[in-house]
Amino acid sequence: MASSVRNSSGFRIGSMEISTKSIKKYVLPPAIAIFTFLALWEALSASGITLLPGPSSLFTDARTFELVRYPFYDRGGIDKGMFWQTWASLQRVVISYTLAAIVGISLGIAIGTSEMLSRALDPLFLFLRTVPPLAWVPISLAALNKNEPAALFVIFITSVWPILINTAVGVKQIPQDYINVARVVQASKQKYFFQILLPSALPYIFTGLRVAISLAWLAIIAAEIVMSGIVGIGFFIWEAYQNNYISEVILALVWIGAVGLLLDTAMGWLQNKIVKQ
Amino acid sequence: MQHLSRRHFLLAVGATGSATLLKGCAITPPSPDALSPKAQALTLSSLTAPETTVVKLGYIAIAESAPLIIAREKGFFARHGMTDVAVSKQASWGAARDNIEIGSAGGGIDGGQWQMPMPQLISEGLITKGNRKIPMLSMAQLSTQGNGIAIASQHAGKGFGLDVSGAAEYVREMKASGKPFKAAYTFPRVNQDFWIRYWLGAGGIDPSKDIDLIAIPAAQTVASMRTGSMDGFSTGDPWPSRILRDRRKYGFLAVLTAQIWPSHPEEYFAMREDWVRKNPKAAKAILKGIMEAQMWCDDPKNRAEMAAILAQRKYFNVPSDLLIGPYTGEYILGAERKTVKDEKLAIRYWKDARGSVSYPYQSHDLWFLTESVRWGFLPQGALGEADRIINAVSGEKFWREAAQELGIASADIPPSTSRGIEKFFDGAEFDPEKPQAYLDSLKIKTMKA
Repeated sequence: MASSVRNSSGFRIGSMEISTKSIKKYVLPPAIAIFTFLALWEALSASGITLLPGPSSLFTDARTFELVRYPFYDRGGIDKGMFWQTWASLQRVVISYTLAAIVGISLGIAIGTSEMLSRALDPLFLFLRTVPPLAWVPISLAALNKNEPAALFVIFITSVWPILINTAVGVKQIPQDYINVARVVQASKQKYFFQILLPSALPYIFTGLRVAISLAWLAIIAAEIVMSGIVGIGFFIWEAYQNNYISEVILALVWIGAVGLLLDTAMGWLQNKIVKQ
Repeated sequence: MQHLSRRHFLLAVGATGSATLLKGCAITPPSPDALSPKAQALTLSSLTAPETTVVKLGYIAIAESAPLIIAREKGFFARHGMTDVAVSKQASWGAARDNIEIGSAGGGIDGGQWQMPMPQLISEGLITKGNRKIPMLSMAQLSTQGNGIAIASQHAGKGFGLDVSGAAEYVREMKASGKPFKAAYTFPRVNQDFWIRYWLGAGGIDPSKDIDLIAIPAAQTVASMRTGSMDGFSTGDPWPSRILRDRRKYGFLAVLTAQIWPSHPEEYFAMREDWVRKNPKAAKAILKGIMEAQMWCDDPKNRAEMAAILAQRKYFNVPSDLLIGPYTGEYILGAERKTVKDEKLAIRYWKDARGSVSYPYQSHDLWFLTESVRWGFLPQGALGEADRIINAVSGEKFWREAAQELGIASADIPPSTSRGIEKFFDGAEFDPEKPQAYLDSLKIKTMKA
């Protein structure tokens, strides 16, 4: 029932407790850190040491403020509010990221369990994963000869590596005890896979998944330049860069950061749910 | 009881708060004032009705793209039956080239705005992936003039003007000291590359040896000029205006292409040949839309509206007053920042001092190819192939037919595919009948066997 524990200085929403104590502990420190960071930044740009506009420019610069004030507008074509730009990019990221997760986890398990595969593919992967996202652009275009798949491929190839590597490590590090137990109870291959291997590797897999989310966002600019003339936060940033509207770039980064935070929190919550089992 | 009502209160407050916020967010920002009415639709006969109403044209956000944008915004495309023309802003010239290789079937573009001689280079497979030949048809010239060379302020007073021979020693000293003069354009071996090379070559500076010339995105060049690590920029409106407007005064406009070669060919409208062959009437409908847009753009009373349309976020995304000057021929030239106002220097879209801007003269195609040979971008043997290449890529026939269908006065339709002898500011002459003589007359060149 809802009112199991009642703290006189607070209340609960679901399983989250909101009290002055918990606010002091969890909300205050990051709030102070963020505020100090913003204040320092504002001071630096106001003093003229750097050409970078301060956070206040999001409100003082008329063009940027219009974007801040109306995140949902749609004037047709690529002239849409920040929410729609971010949403379009998010859709691309989700598709590629899901693909990266599927491929990364399956390949990672394959490499982790097969010694020979690992020896064969390691050098190749070591080489491929150092290629920067922008370098993949001409390659993927030449290979696929279609815009959208090429863009999605750029995101995919950037974000697949942490998933793959972490999964492989997670599978490799299964404690010898577990393997012994499996032998002792003569567990079938299927049982071994689902009840021993996966659960033990899961924390590693999730680490890989969470790292890969930020990498997927990294590639979005490269990917959207490939496509050109589309709604998306990556193309928006490129455009703002071309026109030297730095405060718009900063605004875009705020949106990307916020979405990244949301995604990471969601991933963490998912991890809690699954790993608990 | 107290606990429940507190929770209820919180939820209620949250709900109303987000509702009001969302309502406020749903409002679109105020849009620009109502513009003049769009062009009226025409009734189309079976002879002119296009085969398809859908096409995707790419553009780069500089002044040359205005006819494409205006044709879309003022309904000139729709008027001739092309109701679904998408004008797609390309991230860079490289992206535009990639997209034309792919075509709209693969998510790319069917045609658009090009520096020269990109249509010829793409048709011959010289700049495409895997050297694939993608035949193109160059069907109209979009504009003339409106380009120039910006120089970083630290070189003020060193002789960077129309005649740059006064700066030749200075540039060579820079090279000798180990820090050569660095200049940039946005795409190699095309217009902007040619303009700065011609200008320097005329002043006795060898652009292939005495300076560093590179291709960099425009924003990066401007940023580098600001920090002093880039010395020159060959570019087109609205970039010069942007550079000059910056309060830090890090650059000045040394020369305009309008001064180097009055009424010179600039950027062109070209499409994939397979699309044009499949949809010839649609191609002509697009051309007619572009021609009407060009006429509209040249009309002085439309200038304010043109600047307002182009300045929008979805097009050039600049303050609209940045665009007015060049259309009236008003430029701030030289390190002394002298305001020059001369209609002869303005960007023109339909007619200029030498006749038609829009007609794609084959003699101009020849100049671009000849100049490519001059700097070694093409081998000398290319001159022997020039006729074949030019004829294959020239869509001047489509222009003529479209002009006739549109009812353009025959006085405005050039009788010949050649504009005759071209004269440059340094006295050089290009005779399309004798391109080799032009090459021989030039002192500075870097030809490749």
